[in-house]
Order: sequence, then structure tokens, then C-alpha cells
Amino acid sequence: MMTPALLPLPIALALAAAAVSAAVWLTSLHRRVAITPLAQGLAAAPLAAFVLLLWMQPAIAGGKSLSWSVPWIPALGLSLSLYLDGLSALFALIVSGIGVLVVWYSGYYFQGDDGNHARFLTFLLLFMASMLGVVMAGDVITLFIFWEGTSITSFLLVAYKTKDPQARAGGFQALFITGGGGIALLAGLLMVAHVAGDTSFATILASGEALRASPLYPALLLLIAFGAFTKSAQFPAHIWLPRAMTAPTPASAFLHSATMVKAGIFLMARLNPALGGTDLWFSLLTGFGMATMLIGAYLGLKQNDLKGLLAYSTVSQLGVMMAMIGQNIDIAFKALVISVLAHALYKSALFLVAGIVDHETGTRDLRRLGGLRRAMPASFAVAFVAGLSMAGLPPLFGFLAKETLLATTTHPNVPPSVSNVMALLAVTAGALLLVQAGLLVTDTFLGRPRDPDVHGHEAPTGMWLAPAIPAAFSLVLGLAPGPRVVADFLANAAQAAYGEKVKVSLALWTGLNVPLALSLVAIAVGLLIFVNRTRVRGMMALTGDRWGFQHIYNDVLRGIDRLASLATQLQGGKLRTYLAIMLASALLLIVAAVSLHGVPLITAETMRAGLGSVVDEEVGLLRALALLMVVGSAAATIVLRRDFAAVIVMAAAGLGIALLMVLEPAPDVGLVQVVVDTLSTVILVLALTRLPRQQRERAYELNFVQSRPALIRNAALAVGVGVVVTSLTLIALTSRPRLSVPTPFFEANAKPLTGAKDIVGAVVVDFRGFDTLLEITVFAIAGLGIYTLLRYTARTAEDHVAEAPPTLARHLRSRGIGGLPTSPFVHALALVVLPLAMIVAVTHVLYGHDQPGDGFTAGVIVSLAVAFWYVVFGYEEAKARLPWLKSHRMLALGLLLAIVNAAVAALIAGSPMAPVDFGKMLGLPLPAGMNLSTSFLFELAIGLTVLGSASLMLDTLGHPGDR
Amino acid sequence: MPPSLVLLPVLIPLAAAPVALLLSARPRWQAGWAVGAMATSLVSSALLLAHVWRSGPPLVLAMGGWRAPFGIVLVGDLLSAVMVVMAQSVLLAGILYAVGSREKVVAYPTFYPLFLTLAVGLTGAFLTGDLFNLFVFAEVLVFSGAILTANADDPYGTEAALKYVYISLLASAALLLAVGSLYVAYGTLNMADLAARIAASPAGTSDQPLLGVAVALLLVTFMVKSAVFPFHFWQPDFHAAAPTAVSAMLSSVVVKLGVYGFLRMTTLLFPAQRPQIAPLLVALGIVGVVYGGLSAIGTHNAKRMLAYSTLAQIGFILVAIGWGTPLALAAAVIFTVNHSLVKSAMLMLAGFVASRAPVKTAAFAVVQGVGKAMPAAGALFLVGGMALAGIPPTNGFISKMTVFRSGVEAEQWWALLLLGVASIFTLIYVTRAFMRIWWQPPVGFTYAGKTFAADEIKAKPYGDRLLAPALLILAVLALGLWPTPLVDLAMAVSRWLGSPAPYIAAVLGS
Repeated sequence: MMTPALLPLPIALALAAAAVSAAVWLTSLHRRVAITPLAQGLAAAPLAAFVLLLWMQPAIAGGKSLSWSVPWIPALGLSLSLYLDGLSALFALIVSGIGVLVVWYSGYYFQGDDGNHARFLTFLLLFMASMLGVVMAGDVITLFIFWEGTSITSFLLVAYKTKDPQARAGGFQALFITGGGGIALLAGLLMVAHVAGDTSFATILASGEALRASPLYPALLLLIAFGAFTKSAQFPAHIWLPRAMTAPTPASAFLHSATMVKAGIFLMARLNPALGGTDLWFSLLTGFGMATMLIGAYLGLKQNDLKGLLAYSTVSQLGVMMAMIGQNIDIAFKALVISVLAHALYKSALFLVAGIVDHETGTRDLRRLGGLRRAMPASFAVAFVAGLSMAGLPPLFGFLAKETLLATTTHPNVPPSVSNVMALLAVTAGALLLVQAGLLVTDTFLGRPRDPDVHGHEAPTGMWLAPAIPAAFSLVLGLAPGPRVVADFLANAAQAAYGEKVKVSLALWTGLNVPLALSLVAIAVGLLIFVNRTRVRGMMALTGDRWGFQHIYNDVLRGIDRLASLATQLQGGKLRTYLAIMLASALLLIVAAVSLHGVPLITAETMRAGLGSVVDEEVGLLRALALLMVVGSAAATIVLRRDFAAVIVMAAAGLGIALLMVLEPAPDVGLVQVVVDTLSTVILVLALTRLPRQQRERAYELNFVQSRPALIRNAALAVGVGVVVTSLTLIALTSRPRLSVPTPFFEANAKPLTGAKDIVGAVVVDFRGFDTLLEITVFAIAGLGIYTLLRYTARTAEDHVAEAPPTLARHLRSRGIGGLPTSPFVHALALVVLPLAMIVAVTHVLYGHDQPGDGFTAGVIVSLAVAFWYVVFGYEEAKARLPWLKSHRMLALGLLLAIVNAAVAALIAGSPMAPVDFGKMLGLPLPAGMNLSTSFLFELAIGLTVLGSASLMLDTLGHPGDR
Repeated sequence: MPPSLVLLPVLIPLAAAPVALLLSARPRWQAGWAVGAMATSLVSSALLLAHVWRSGPPLVLAMGGWRAPFGIVLVGDLLSAVMVVMAQSVLLAGILYAVGSREKVVAYPTFYPLFLTLAVGLTGAFLTGDLFNLFVFAEVLVFSGAILTANADDPYGTEAALKYVYISLLASAALLLAVGSLYVAYGTLNMADLAARIAASPAGTSDQPLLGVAVALLLVTFMVKSAVFPFHFWQPDFHAAAPTAVSAMLSSVVVKLGVYGFLRMTTLLFPAQRPQIAPLLVALGIVGVVYGGLSAIGTHNAKRMLAYSTLAQIGFILVAIGWGTPLALAAAVIFTVNHSLVKSAMLMLAGFVASRAPVKTAAFAVVQGVGKAMPAAGALFLVGGMALAGIPPTNGFISKMTVFRSGVEAEQWWALLLLGVASIFTLIYVTRAFMRIWWQPPVGFTYAGKTFAADEIKAKPYGDRLLAPALLILAVLALGLWPTPLVDLAMAVSRWLGSPAPYIAAVLGS
């Protein structure tokens, strides 16, 4: 019994075969397994799929269908679903049927080639799985997934000969065009699903009226049509197909004539019941289809390459099929299904023969071929039969296809104005196709050999058998008048696409009627051109490439590339430019925000209200002085040309800020500011000593020599940023009584909960201790950074910095500043300062929680004393005198202590970094004002980390270098 | 689950970093320790995610027991948990790549400690519930990243790091000003408290004098972090020079800090200002998609190309956040996670190729044709490229499909049209890069004064290991074929972000 659960089986079979092939390709098996038997074995998979699909036919006969689905993304209402009805079956049988032949044939095509061509079979079978998925999809997302699969595998196959630039370009072009179409298709399909309410074809096909009535209809139709047109090589996207002929011939036969290029046809046919029947649908499909038909037929005639000719005739036929779907009459769908089948049969046969010719003679150039009928009789026979079918001559199946096409164009339901044009175009194209078929057969096999170097041999039987089978079918289906099974099968397919029953009979002779007359005209015109083919083709060659449309693609791509290089020019590498653009953008954003949101104005009154207290206090004058010092020093850093001077002036600015803090009064912050300012000045100076003089002079120049526009730009930005930040501060100060949510809490709880008299200390170590932990981490990172950069990277890179060790650094090596031996007095001072600093540091750590000062200050103070030692004793002696100063270890242990401390607090007090007083807990007798608590340990950890990191920086910067 | 679970993803790498430093004399132990620490940390963050996803409300940990809004709280809500798991998965892959890398910088004693602090900074920034604390974590992140880059083998590493630091300082200044403005206006640093107070004060009153400026400054901050045009400048220069293991982190998960910021801004802090923020996000997102895509086509270095590609991909996320419908927010989360996986893998693959190129650089002129000796990397690159271009069966398709779908449902036709047109750029640069490295024959080139002729260009027999990118690409495929868990999770995140009230209630206590 037929169950829908078998639906995934054909795809699974192809995938399994692809997996086997991939295993051969990617392992050493490819050296032991010959390509021919491998291909013959793998052909069993599509054969099984073909048989399986045939076996399913009764279950879908008469407009029935099978469907299978498995939930995929339930949250988005998506399932992976498959669906088999007449239309799917027609295409799936073509895919698997031609697939058997192509896989089989590939084994011969690559025979005698050393390459690892299991790769080809892998791609081919992956394509087959994708293609089966496309035609059997029961849901638009499922369809799209497989659709893109065909695009990717097609890319891999077209560019299969990766060494060939033409192949790569062809592959890229195919992927670019079909991939671009894929994006439009996805959008279109999602819109369809949006309107219909579900992604499944069942729902979509049932919501035709809603879809056609939706205001989105034109947009979604255009998007889907764009996707389908690119895939099915409709004008003007047809250009990728001829260039895709760089693929190995079996792939061309399979993908680029029999199956993949019909994916667009399939999709439009599938959606016709839902989206078709409107004027837009009609004009879109008819217009592009007919144009494609004509262009393909015309350009095909110009080709000298066997495969190029076949590609353009494929384009032409795809146009016919597309135009048929545009017609809202039953006979058009009869024409469609017959065309699809007829074309698949004769075109795959011709392609495979072209492959044989190429394989056996080494060329596909019609100007060099000729007279091969004797050397290759079997191939000739196959090509002859298939060529007759292509030419649309009786008694072949192709004749029937052309007859139904002509019957459609002259159908009374088509408006006469359109009908006349269509008939004319169809006759013209029919005539040209006949010429193409004639060229193909005669110039290859008949006449005399044109090139003495071209010799043919008949292909192995297994090879020519592959095209012989479809060619034979072309003949049988034409000769045996209307086998019922086939007619019913095709009628079932047409019905699925048309939406209503379609009558299909396959009789060649339908009496004397208009289509037959037109057919005769086409044949007559075709023969006339064929006889004069040399002259006609010569005239066509004169038109050059103008009608090839390839130049449009080239121009588009070139345009994108030009835009691309324009875009990259913005990223010029100059930090100055970057910062200027970013600052300007930030200012713009702020201005926009202010204009949208509004800010309170700063008036004299608000100024007085907000700032009055600041000015009026006793320390007002001192404040003004400190402020002046800060502003003046900051301004001086811009003006001063010498870097040392600028660093010193900057230090003055820092000290001014410290003074402001002290006056606030925030003595803690002031103290930290003083020591940090000092330390950073020391570090900056040490860093400057490592730079060679020339480089520093160059830096001055860069700083001061600027063009006028740059100067104006920078000044404008500086003023802008200054205005924004200043007004921000003023608004903050003047807008309204500032209230802080946590401050009252801190004031109330600092002493009782943390044991700190000093709120700042409590905030730093307790309330926001986590920030502090991270900040010392940043400090440690900075120390490690300086160390690594100078000790490792600068040494390995070709270091231009240390090329000429500057004098100052050299002197630092042995004896203090200036290379002079420092006086005993300075020595003694240094010897006193370090222990003194350590004592100060220890008190800071011990009492910091109660008094101004903290672990950070402690660490910096000791570091400063260490820096003094380096200066006084020189690097080596200082190192020798401070054996305990293992900076790395100290830094790491400091951080670890802080973390362990936090963890211990979590164990005892239930919360990491919670305050725990061990002294109180254990009842230790401690001096007054001192406590042994997590806060103390944290301060200690901070001190250690800071000392470790700072001394690491000093050590690195003071290091005289190896040279 | 105890609330301290939310601290573990931060604490583990933070504690592991100094230990790793102490192990610097034993490089193998140090590397092993770093991998173990990162893996343990990932386990803890996965536990956090599992817990929050199952139970709903976030885990809130008040550091030191000082409850919000007085102390600093860590808040593990669903969004944070997702971001942390994403970040730490990629970070683990990054450490694995470093372990298998032949770059000199990896052998320096401070590499692994700094990599771990990088993890601390990023994880903490996702988890903290305090705006100032976010600033501090961001500093940890920036300095770790900058130093790792300054130490790169590439001679331009220091320059790249300098640019990164300067531009990051700009962001830090903006963030600090924003924090200050908000503190002046609302007197609090706690994000939940801020959200509640901003929502409580009606718009346009003098109660919120600096709100508009603060929003603008926060936008600037997060745009720098996420490298959004025109604040992206650090990014391309950075990635061409940074060590592979580091650049793979910066362009994948670290840039997501900005995405996280935009999500918090629009759903928690400033939902009332959303109508003004959203058009900007959409506009800049589209500009990013177009500009990033074009620049990626125009550049001459595979790593730079991938850096530009991040601009474009972040653009998609921004657009989705701008649309802001439930599906769009879910799409943004899906896109964010998927992009992290694929972009880190792609940068590792570019680095892998560079490590075996005759000269160690990812410049196309140098790496052209060297892929021939490494087909496995080519296959991985192709799959990754498909994911960038949004082609099934990769996770990139799921990202693109959900973004497009959310756009269709929100009926944002113009934005969709522009996104669609610009999507083609991805296809172009990915395909070209693939073809150049793996298919085209080598050409001669001159690099740093040395000239190589085409026929003497050969891939080195040894280079970095392929394990880390292979694992990531495996995830890319797995999430493409079986996206249900990620989509479900993203939908849950989107539902959670739907209303700020539960977040505020959980942090402040009701």
C-alpha cells in the first residue's frame, strides 16, 4: 500500500548516494574505485527513486495528491513538507529518470581522466536531491531551501574545472543571478505566506482569491516572477545559461537543460492556480516568455559552439514554457506539459551526444567538426532523431509540442491582437529552432570533415546508450499515437498547474487546421534559412555582441565594484579622520536629541541658583585659582611644542583637579588624584625616554603642521564638543536640586553596616566594591600590557623604537639621572623614602577604612618610592636591592586575594564581597581604630595589585633594553 | 538555584586569570588551565540559562548584600543569559583556536590571562544591572582586547590597537557622560531603578532635563561598541592586524555588546522614547548593510572583508531591533547568536589560511590559491560563506528568513527592499573570496619588500589547527538544520522583553 511516509524516500536515496560518493571522494577510496563502476553503482539510487515515483502514480491519478510533513520550527509554524501531485510527478520523474542516465553517462565521460571525479558525482547527486526537493515541496519554505540547494550545487558544477577562469566566471555569474533571484523569491514567498496565512502550498492554493485581491499582489508576483525568471533563464537574465556551459557536459545536460532551469517554470506552474489568471500575470509571463523565446532562437543561430547552441535553444524553449503558463486556457497547459517532457527528452539526448563528440574529438566547435557520421554512427543516429524532435518535425514528439504551442497561440480565447503577435513569434522561433537543429546535426555529422586534425571514434556502448534512451522515447511517444497512460499522466500534470481538468491527447494528426498550416510555414521558412545558413550567419555575426546582453551584467558588476572601492576609501587609515567623523556624528546625534527632546535653558538666574553657593563660599577664591590652573595647564598642553613640557603641564592640571577635590571637600579623592597624577607623570616621562629624538621631533611636526582646512575642522569640532560638555555640566549643576537615591542610604549605613567612618571608603570598598575589584583588574591589565608589549612584541617585531637607545635611558642603566653618580645625600634619601613609604602604605591599608586613604593610595605611594630607587640607583642595582619585588606574582596574588576574600565573605555572610569583621567574629584583641575584616583584606589586595602592576610598568619602562 | 549562580560566569574567568598568570612559566599548563576555566565557566552560564529559561524570572545577585538600587546587582535575565552563553561558547572556541595556533603572541606569558579578562569584561557587561558597573566591565573588555591586539605578530597590530583604544575611549567618554547625565536627572545608577524612574516621570517635563542627551550619548556608546556606521572605523583596521583568536572574538561576540545595549535601551530603559530611536536604528542598519556589503567587496584582505561583513550583518540586527515587533526582536536575537558563531568561524578560517600562506597575512594577493592544499578548510569556508549569505541549510538562512518574515509581517516594505538588494553583496564577496583562495591559481606578489613569483608560492605544511572553526561550523549547520531550540529561546527572550515591569520588579523587589 502506498503511504505518504515514502515521499521523502526519493530525496533520501539521492542524498545517500551523494554520501557514498562523498566518502569515495574524500577518502583514499577514490584511488581504488574507478569512476565508471562507481557511477554505474550510484545510478541505482535515482533508478530506485524513479521506480518508486512510478509506483506512486496510481495514488495521485485523477488530480489526487500525497502529502507528508514533519514539524520543523513550530514556534514559527514551519514544517518540512513534501507534496506529490501530477505536476510534481512529471518533474520528479524527469529529474530521476534523466538523473539515472546522466549519472551512468558521467562514469564514461570521466573515464581515463586522472582527477578525483567522485567529487563531480557528489555534487551531481546533491543537486538531484535538491531538485527533487524543489519539485516535491509541499511548503514554500521547504521549496526555497531546496531551491537554494540547486543554486549552490549548480555553482559548484559550472565552476567544476576550477582552474579555468571561464568556468569560475560562469559559476559566479550563475550564482549571482540565481542567488539574487533567490533573495527576491524568498521575500515574495514570505509575502504570499503572509497574505495566505500559512506557508503550505495547500493553504496558498486555496487562498487564490485573497491573494489576487491583496494590495500586495503586484509586489509579491513581481518578486516571485523575478526569482523564477532568473532561475529559468528568462530574458534578460538568460545570459547566465550560455556561460554556464563550462560545466562538464553531463551537468549541462542535467541541470541546464532538463531540470534546474525548469525550476522557475515549475514554480510558476505550481502557483498558477493561486496567482494566475490576472492581467499582470498574463502580460508578465507572456511578455518575458515570448521575448525569451525569440532572443534564444536568434542568438542560438549565431553560435559556433555545440553547447552554446544547445544552451540558447534551451533558453528559447524555456521562454515558450513561461509564456504558456501566462495563458489562462487549458490547451496552454497541455502545451506546457508536452513541451516540458519533449524538451527534456530531446535536449538531454543532444547534450549527451555533444558531450560524446567533445569527448571523442576534443572539440565542440562547429567550424571544425563535420563528417563524423561514419566514425560515430550510433551517436549520429541518436543526434538525428533528437534533432528532428527539436526541429519540430513529424513523427517526433517535438512536433506535437510545437503543434500544441501553435494551437494555443491561435486559440479563440486569446485576444486577436495578442494572438497574431504570438503566432508570428512562435512561427519565427519555430523556424529558427529548425535551423539550429539542422546546423547541429549536419555540421557535426554530415558533409566533409572540415579540420584534418579532428578525428572521431564511436563512444563505448554504455556511453551512447544514455542519450539513445531519451531519443528513443521522443520517437516512440510521437509514433505510437496517444498512449493512454502517458496522456493521462500529462493531463494530470496539466490539471495540477491549470487548476481544472485539461484534456490531453497525443495524436500527431489532428486534421487540417490553422496550427498545421502555421507549422508548415515555420518549416518552410526554416528550410529556406537553413539552405542559406552561411549567408544568414555571416550577416548575424556582423551585429557583434550587442544583442548578447552580457555587457549589461558586466556593467552592473563593474558598477558595484566601483561603488565598493569608493566605499572603502572612507576607511583611509587615519585615526584623525575617523575621530573627526565620529565626533561630528556624535554631536549631530546630540543636537538631534536636544531638538527633539528639549533642554532647559541656562539663564543668569539658574546659574546663580545653582552655582551661587560654589562662588560665595570662603574658599571661592582658592577654587577659582585651582580652576585657572587646570584650564591654563590644559590649554598649555596644546600650545607647548616639547613633549616633556606638555607632560609636566598636564601633571599640573591633575594637581589642580586634586586641589578642587580637596576643597569640595573630598580629601579621599583628592589624595588619590595626587598620587595617581604623580605616578602617571613618572610613567609618561619614562616612556618618553625610550623614544628616539628624531621620532619625537617627527611627532611634533605631525602635531603642529596642519593644513588650514584641517585646522578649521579640528577647531570647530573641539569647540562643538567643548560647548556640549560644558553645557551638559552647567545644566547638571543648575537644573534642579540634585537628589541621589543611594546617598542617604550610604550616609545612614556606612558606619553601622561597614564599620567605616568615611563614606567614600565605604563606597569604594563596600557598597561599590565590585567596581573597585574590576578597576584594579584594569590597572593590572595595563601593567601586563606594557610589559608584554615592550618585552616581547617590540622585540620580535622589527622595532624601530629602540633602534638608537636614547641617552637618558642608557644612563638610567647604571647610574642615576644624567649619567652622573648620585650624591650620597640622594642615596640616603632614597634609602629612607622607601621604608617610610611602606610605613605610610601600611597605615593606609590598616586605617584606610576609617580615615582618608586606602589600599590604592598605599600601592601607588610604594610604587613611587620604587620609581625613585630606579632613578637613584639605576636599573640593575635597584633590581638587586629589591629582590622581594616580584611584580608578576604580587599582581596575581593581589587579585587572587581580592577574589578569595569575596568568596570567603560569600561563605560566611552569604553574599560575595559582603562585609565580615573577622576581628569581632573571633574576638581578637586589636588596637583601637584597627580592624581585621574583609574590608581590610580587600584594601591589602588592592595595594598589592597596584604595587605589582605599577612596579611592573616601572620595571619594564626602566629596563635599559638588550642592545 | 542560588542567585550566586549569576556571578559564576564572571567569577570563574576572573579568578582563573591571575592563576593563569602564575602558571606562565609552564605554557602547556597555562593553556590547559585557560581552556578548563573557560569550559567550566561555559557550563555555569549554560546552567544559568537553563535555570532562567525554565523558571522565568531573572536571578538577581546583590554584590556584598547591598540591595538595589544602593549597591551593584548582577541580573541574569533571559536576554543576558542568552548573550552570555553565546559569548562564552565562542570564547571557548577562541581559546581552543589559540591553543592550536602558531602565532607568537599566543606564547607570550600574558596571552591567556588577558584572554580570560576579555571574557570577564564581556560576560560582566551582559550580566550587570548597574550602568556604571557596565562602564567598568567595558573598560576591562577594551583594555584586554587592545593589549592582545597590540601584541599581534602583525606589524600593524600596535597601530590597530591604538585606534581601537582611542575610539573606545570616545565611547567610554560618551558612556560616562550619559551615566552622569542620568545620575543627575534620576539620582540612580541601577538600570531597573532608572527604568522605573524614567517611566514614572512624564516626557518633556523639567524632571528629565538631560534624558534626550543621555539617550544620544548611550546610542553613540553602543554604536561604537557594535561598529555601526559611522562609528565603525576601528573595526576594519583592527581585524586585519589582530591575532586571529582575538579578532574572531571581537567581530563576533564583542560587537554584540552594542546590540545588547540597543535591546536594553529600547525595551527596558527608554521604551517611551522608542519611536524616536527606532527610525535611527533602521536607517543606520540599512546604511550598514549597504556600506558594509560594498566595502567588503572592495577590500583586499580576507579578514578585513569579514570585518566589513560584520557591519552589514549588524545592520540586519539593528533593523530588526528598530522594527521592534515581537517577531522582529526574536529575529534580532536569532541573528545575533547565529552571526557570532559563523563570523568567529570565518575569521578563524581566514586566519588559518593566513597561517599557512607564504607570508603571514590574509591579503588576497598573498593567500590566493594557497587553499588548494587545504580542501577541508575550503569546505568549511564555503558553508560559513553560505551562512553569511543566508543560504540554507545553514543557520544564516534561519536568521535571514526570520528577519525578512518579521519585516513582511510588520509591512516594512522599503526597508525590506533595500535589505534584499544589499543582500546580494554578501553573495558576491563571499563567493569571490572563496574562489580566490581555493580555486584561483596563485599570482606573484610583493609583501614587505619581498617578492614571490607565482610558481614558488606554496602553502606551508603546518599552520594553525582547524579544530575550533570546524566545531563552530558544525554548530552553524546544526542550528541550520535543527533551529527549533534557538528559535524557541529567542521567542521566549522576545516575550520577556515585551514588558519592562517584571525585570524592574525582580531587581528592585516589589
